[in-house]
Amino acid sequence: MTGNYRKWPMILFLGIMTAPIILMYFYLFLDTITNSPPGSLIPNELTTEHWRFLWMTIPGRPSIWVATWNTFLFASITTLIVLVISSAAGYSLSRLNMPARSFFLGGIMVLHAFPTVTLLIAIFLILQMLGLYNTLFGVIMVKASLELPFGIWIMKGFYDTVPWEIEMAGIQDGATRFQVWTKLMLPQVKPAIMALGIFSFLAGWSEFILPLVLAPDNEVQVLSVYLAALIADDNNFDMALFKSVGLLYVVPVIIPFVFFQNRLMNIYSGGNKG
Amino acid sequence: MVNTTIESTTDQVVKARIGRSTGPQLNWLQKIGNSKYLGLYLLAPAGIFVLLFFVIPVLLTGVFGFTNMSTATGITGGAYLANQSSMQALGDRHDMAALAEQINQVVYTIDETGLTTAREAGISAATLMELRAKFLGQSFDNRRDAERAIKKLNNRPANTRALKVLVKYFERSVINTRYDSKAEILAAIDGFGVSLTPEQQAAIIDVTYTGWVFSTNNFKRMISLPDTKKTLINTLFFVFTTLILFNVGFALVLAVSTHYMDAGPAGFFRSVWLLPRITPPVLYVLMWKWLAWDTGFISIILGPFGVEPKNWLLDSPTNAWTFIILINGMVGASMGMLIFSSAIKAIPSSLFYASEVDGATRAQQIRHIILPQLRFPILFITCYQTLSLLTSFEYFLLATEGGPGGSTEVWALSTYFKALNNYAGALEYGYGAALALVLVVVGVVLSILYLKLFDFKTLTAAPKIE
Amino acid sequence: MRILLENFTKKFGDLTIIDGMDLEVHDGEMIALLGGSGCGKSTTLFAICGIHKVNGGRIFFGDHDVTNVTTQERNVGVVFQSFALYPHMTVENNIGFPLKLRKESTGDIKRKVGEIAEMVHIEALLQRRPGELSGGQQQRVALARALVRRPDVLLLDEPLANLDATLRLEMRSEIRRIQHETGITAVLVTHDQTEAMSMCDRIAIMDAGKIVQITEPKDMYDNPVSDFVAGFLGSPPIAFLSGKIEDGHFIEPSTKTKIPLDHEMAKSNNGRTVSIGIRPEYFQPNNGTAVSGKVSFIESQGRETLYNVMLPDGKILRSIQGEGSVAKIGDTVEWGINAPKILVFDEDGKRI
Repeated sequence: MTGNYRKWPMILFLGIMTAPIILMYFYLFLDTITNSPPGSLIPNELTTEHWRFLWMTIPGRPSIWVATWNTFLFASITTLIVLVISSAAGYSLSRLNMPARSFFLGGIMVLHAFPTVTLLIAIFLILQMLGLYNTLFGVIMVKASLELPFGIWIMKGFYDTVPWEIEMAGIQDGATRFQVWTKLMLPQVKPAIMALGIFSFLAGWSEFILPLVLAPDNEVQVLSVYLAALIADDNNFDMALFKSVGLLYVVPVIIPFVFFQNRLMNIYSGGNKG
Repeated sequence: MVNTTIESTTDQVVKARIGRSTGPQLNWLQKIGNSKYLGLYLLAPAGIFVLLFFVIPVLLTGVFGFTNMSTATGITGGAYLANQSSMQALGDRHDMAALAEQINQVVYTIDETGLTTAREAGISAATLMELRAKFLGQSFDNRRDAERAIKKLNNRPANTRALKVLVKYFERSVINTRYDSKAEILAAIDGFGVSLTPEQQAAIIDVTYTGWVFSTNNFKRMISLPDTKKTLINTLFFVFTTLILFNVGFALVLAVSTHYMDAGPAGFFRSVWLLPRITPPVLYVLMWKWLAWDTGFISIILGPFGVEPKNWLLDSPTNAWTFIILINGMVGASMGMLIFSSAIKAIPSSLFYASEVDGATRAQQIRHIILPQLRFPILFITCYQTLSLLTSFEYFLLATEGGPGGSTEVWALSTYFKALNNYAGALEYGYGAALALVLVVVGVVLSILYLKLFDFKTLTAAPKIE
Repeated sequence: MRILLENFTKKFGDLTIIDGMDLEVHDGEMIALLGGSGCGKSTTLFAICGIHKVNGGRIFFGDHDVTNVTTQERNVGVVFQSFALYPHMTVENNIGFPLKLRKESTGDIKRKVGEIAEMVHIEALLQRRPGELSGGQQQRVALARALVRRPDVLLLDEPLANLDATLRLEMRSEIRRIQHETGITAVLVTHDQTEAMSMCDRIAIMDAGKIVQITEPKDMYDNPVSDFVAGFLGSPPIAFLSGKIEDGHFIEPSTKTKIPLDHEMAKSNNGRTVSIGIRPEYFQPNNGTAVSGKVSFIESQGRETLYNVMLPDGKILRSIQGEGSVAKIGDTVEWGINAPKILVFDEDGKRI
């Protein structure tokens, strides 16, 4: 960066453009612990009433803890499946000779670009036919499958950057390709696994459409569906309550984001959709 | 020759080392580990998952799109039911109104079946015996005729009520009875005393089937409905506007302006602009609703200026579109921002120095140095995001639900409403799948096109260990 | 046009790279900033062209104070180490770019580009892109782009570092020729002493953000102000021995060889511990004061051969000799030092 151009006009300009986002987040936090008089943005009292859903279940809704647990199960099992399968498949596509290799590569690339939400109807019908509708298991399988092409593609990209010499040395030292993969290559791509893991977890945690369509019932409800149903209920409009649930919901997203920002930025720019 | 020698030596080394250290029981692992199909083995789990919930759904979307599947037909299959509407269809679709008339009738036939059931139900044997002797095989076109005939019997039922009960056993109709198979309904009609030609049989099977059937009606309907055109225009408007203003346009602004900042503020702005993307959609849209709600931020801020509080999100199509594009665009801008930023970072700093030495102002540097280097990333983002904007409906569903009055309904959203969620509760899976199929086809075609565009060969360089 | 740096100071954060440097480059002169990596030579160059803002002091072009003038308005031409050609533009557009930014007419641009291309011998390459050029051709394009705007000064940042050996030789004389033809004031930043010596009128040798010595190449070679300068110039490098001055002689500690020194100097520094520098060409068979040692290393450079001679205490003397030498590794030789050519430095490395 040279000193030939002034920086403050840029900072000022972006500052103005960014203000709404900061404002929204600021009030997201503020409104959950305060009350403001009608027609005012300045709170006049502190309160914990908006967090009452933590200790008393809202009528007609599942307990928030059930929903949280379901969300956690959904996100973490999906992540586990994605990690295990894509680290194997990514290595395979990156390094191994196999019949129809370029077909698989092309297939993964096409699927990677392919907009998965369009498959919702077919998936819904398939789950109905398999009897997996309204089960966490079913929606986990679906989410994991839809994440896989992205995961495989990312992992392949990371394996591609590991020097071939490591692998060649391993083979000279007498390891099988399988051992080369588990003992030599996996440790090299640990940061990638970490990044993909965080990414998948966040993607699972935030997922809305799939659980909404495939597992909407109270017993298997996840937080996104819970919150959406709460908001959609016209009889109990309470913005501060919605925001409190939302804040609880977003904390597990914000914390890893703050800590692993740079890794996540890498992976978000790796061709994710949106 | 040379190759085989090397391979066999490697093999021996492998056998020597691993065989000795781990024992023979691990031989199978070794075999797999060195198999030339190892790649396929490692790929197999992914293949199964992807096949089951990715590839098959793609194909099934195609299949379902050509059916009339709905909540009425069920999704697994159906029965055969001749009712008023199917008889109507028999007349309309097959020009067999006369046949429909025949089938539609209720007749009273004195037959063995009726006699047996009546006996089992406890009707007096004498009555039945007489009935059998006098009328077996006879049919009456209506209830009154049948009752009159029975009344003439010596052993007739004691009262009118008993008479009506008895007549009931001989009532014969195929209307409003569910038959589980084709054979059953045809047998029933045959037993009803109507003999059918093969054409008539086919026609009856056709109109009485309650399960889903293949048809191209979805597409005919799609083309004929005025809604389709409106949705299509909405979709194109949305995709292009959002793409140009935000996913490419504002993403460029973000990437370029953070490039001209120190690392600190640049990192801050990039993080903040990633927030919309990582925030769960439900919450993200909730925050926008808070901005737009009639007791929300905008209404409160504008209150003192004499603007009536209102729900800005849904009060007019223009405002709804503004919010929709902002909501989607602020999420979409971050991906372009990241990709463009790293592309700018990849430009050697000496190029910036050189252009400044050559006398470039900031605008000229952006125009002549940065933008030409971003041509490929811009193309990439355009391709990728076109597809995702075209097919995403999450933010629509959460924010406007297509409102007000369908003015923000896009293709993907209407697909969802048709097939998976609507107020009437009559879900048209087949029509929805047909709508989705359009997107799937566009998706497949564009994905393959991108594959060609982004130099597939360099990504598939052959492995260096053979 | 003269370049003058007065009390120039440059910091990066808390780190002071250059502290109060003064430098004057005369009109039409080509000067080399020579030094190892991190000595501040590139920082100085970037300050002259304005890519770095100075933290103190002033910069003049002629009598014009350009300290706070932006890069764009300074009218300097720079050739970067990596050439920094714009990869998406043709050679013609690359060279014409500075003129285009000045909104000169297309005709003028074409004419000027043609002239400069002719001067640097790249007329045939104008429609190519940088990626299709060899290193030497890219170098010429970079030079043409730097010169086409008729800059007040030409700055060259390690311009030959990315070229292979033969091209480097060719471009050395080419750059010098073009500088002579245009009569432009030029500053060359380099870490290669041969480049500095062969191309420039004067050399400013830098160490840790300071100019240690500034003079003509030959003078700097013969009369370095310090052991650092003496060590930097010359290939193969000068060899140093340390010992005491006694009775007008330098006493080599391990062999007790007495090497005669300049009378006046020896007298006033009697008893002092010093180090002496002996260049390889002044340590030869049958030549002045003999020193004996073992040949520890031989490197044939074709026309000449370099010998390292190890003294009993492990110190090395270097000798470069033409054909006819027959010493082998391990041989004990007794070669002579040309005493009048010895350079003497004090404990701090200052020339005595």
